[in-house]
Amino acid sequence: MTGSFSRGRRYVLLLLLLCGFIVVLFRLVTLQVWQAAKLSAKADRQHQKTVSLEGARGTIADRHGKILAINVEVPSVFGIPNALDSPLTIARQLSPILHVRTDELERKLRQKRSFVWLARKLDPEQGRQLDRLSLDGIGVVMEGRRFYPKGTFLAHVLGFSGMDGEGLEGVEHRYESYLRGEKRMMVLQCDALGRTVFPKGMMERSPTPGQNLTLTIDEVIQYIAERELEDAVGRAQAKSGTMIVLDPKTGAVFAMAVSPRFDPNAVSALNADRWRNRALTDAYEPGSTMKAMMAAAAIEEGVVRPNTMVFGEHGHMTVANTVIHDHERLGWVSFAQVIQKSSNIGAAKTGMALGEDRLYRYLLAFGFGQRTEIDLPGEGVGLVRNPRDWGRRSVASISMGQEIGVTPLQMVSAVAAIANGGVLMKPYVVSEIRDADGHIIRQIPPQAKRRVISSETARSVTKILEGVITDGTGTKAAIRGYRVAGKTGTAQKIDPRTGTYSASRFIASFTGYVPADNPQLAMIVIIDEPQGEAWGGVVAAPVFSRVGEQVLSYLGVPSSEPVTLAMARK
Amino acid sequence: MKACTVFLGLCLVFVFVWERVDMVRMGYQIERLKREKTVLERQRDELRVKVSALSAADRIAKLATDKLGMSLPQQGQIIMVHSRPSYTPAPDIVQVELKIAKNYLPLRRF
Repeated sequence: MTGSFSRGRRYVLLLLLLCGFIVVLFRLVTLQVWQAAKLSAKADRQHQKTVSLEGARGTIADRHGKILAINVEVPSVFGIPNALDSPLTIARQLSPILHVRTDELERKLRQKRSFVWLARKLDPEQGRQLDRLSLDGIGVVMEGRRFYPKGTFLAHVLGFSGMDGEGLEGVEHRYESYLRGEKRMMVLQCDALGRTVFPKGMMERSPTPGQNLTLTIDEVIQYIAERELEDAVGRAQAKSGTMIVLDPKTGAVFAMAVSPRFDPNAVSALNADRWRNRALTDAYEPGSTMKAMMAAAAIEEGVVRPNTMVFGEHGHMTVANTVIHDHERLGWVSFAQVIQKSSNIGAAKTGMALGEDRLYRYLLAFGFGQRTEIDLPGEGVGLVRNPRDWGRRSVASISMGQEIGVTPLQMVSAVAAIANGGVLMKPYVVSEIRDADGHIIRQIPPQAKRRVISSETARSVTKILEGVITDGTGTKAAIRGYRVAGKTGTAQKIDPRTGTYSASRFIASFTGYVPADNPQLAMIVIIDEPQGEAWGGVVAAPVFSRVGEQVLSYLGVPSSEPVTLAMARK
Repeated sequence: MKACTVFLGLCLVFVFVWERVDMVRMGYQIERLKREKTVLERQRDELRVKVSALSAADRIAKLATDKLGMSLPQQGQIIMVHSRPSYTPAPDIVQVELKIAKNYLPLRRF
């Protein structure tokens, strides 16, 4: 009896175990086979998180490696309105740190949304204060913010980047594809608390940072140019000013200054007019500085020689029923004196002897009416009309720098061509691109575009332009100990109301190079609408001299002429 | 023999478990080091910004003139008495086909 009962209990137990086993097996098959794919995906979602990562934007440095633009990870604050009990209390706590009004923060935090930005790209110190606060429903993420540590320095060349890190102006825009860091999605493994353990797949690499740019710009030269230009614009109470310093042998831009300046760290309040790089966007009538190029063309073509005598018509000459004036009543003068005294009549006569065909070809050969192809965005082409559209006076006018529009960069490039012996170089501002480890990815060499004039002609023109400084209109551009070659320019602006030349608005300019016997610097100074005396030789030439003297000293360029020093006995 | 097999099996299980645990531990360590690296990189970048701002030429000039009573040399006061080859020599120019302007553009009659 006892045996059969215990056998019966054993069977029941076995049956129960079997049922249990079948249930477990069924569940196992359900989970592991039938629902395997769905559950596996669900587990992955819980154990993995996908984040979008972007490599840091590359830095921009001057030619000596001094940092001009750099990315720093800074905190951005967001709120989760749905998770907040008391938006007002939170807003009160955040307001003094974020420097945002309490009511504005409260309004954002009361929105029926699951995510709202409260403030983006704050200072690192603000981030540290937020960390100490540790508020529920308020989060901080790190984002790359572009810093221009030197403020307004070189702003027109550097440009700036937008809130999402994309280059919007200047070098930042032009070299966007190099500067921008790699953007990639990364899958991370998480533990039960949501902490990251390691990337899925140990070979997963971090996104590559952007590449670093080295400019041809020299911080010291740029500083000198900016300071002297700012002083000159202030003294002359002018509307604006532009200065470019470049190496005439290579076309490397050492400095490009525009006044007034702007701070690329705070561009949101400024309009586009303020950050426009006038050195390469704005065309102006060059006035007498154009006579240097006209002289080069005429000498190259054998139309004149420096000692060819030209009659100055005693200051008045009629061309196409209009009168051309000179500020000096000149009689017979040499062609060299025509340039040195900046005679409009002499220039017009020479231009007419050269003829419209040849004049036009030389204008194009010197790079006018076309982009210099500098590696900066927004470059203008200027205005060189086709001879078909020229009037009867056009040859005379263009020869003295009217009826033509050039950019400051075109003009200084043309002058640099005379300085280096006749070769037009392509100007450039970026010399090297390096990866994050400092290895050179790309080196940008100087590039010659074409020979414009022969070296003999360049030497002749240089001698004439030296005379402008020693005996002509540009005496204030002289630099003690150095031979300077250059040309002054004073152009009347066109009055937009009447469409005629204004009697009170001028552009004063000076362009030249130094030392004339072995040019190291080609420069242009343009002062727009100076008040009072508006002559290029009075307003712009002194800036050339002051910048030239300091930069030559900084570069250690030896004097052109022996200097006698008197030493006092003790 | 049987006991030996069981022992080896247990050893293998132990090695497998130990390896998994160690991987997770290393994962946490890597993540911690990564965070440290990020913080240090951030500090480095902040310091670079500071260095750059503090070494700005206009700031140095302002300090020199306002605090130290220095002044800029006037015209003619700088005289280079001997050459110092500090300026970078011009790199080689890439040779391209150079044309005299006379032949630069196809002649056109107008």
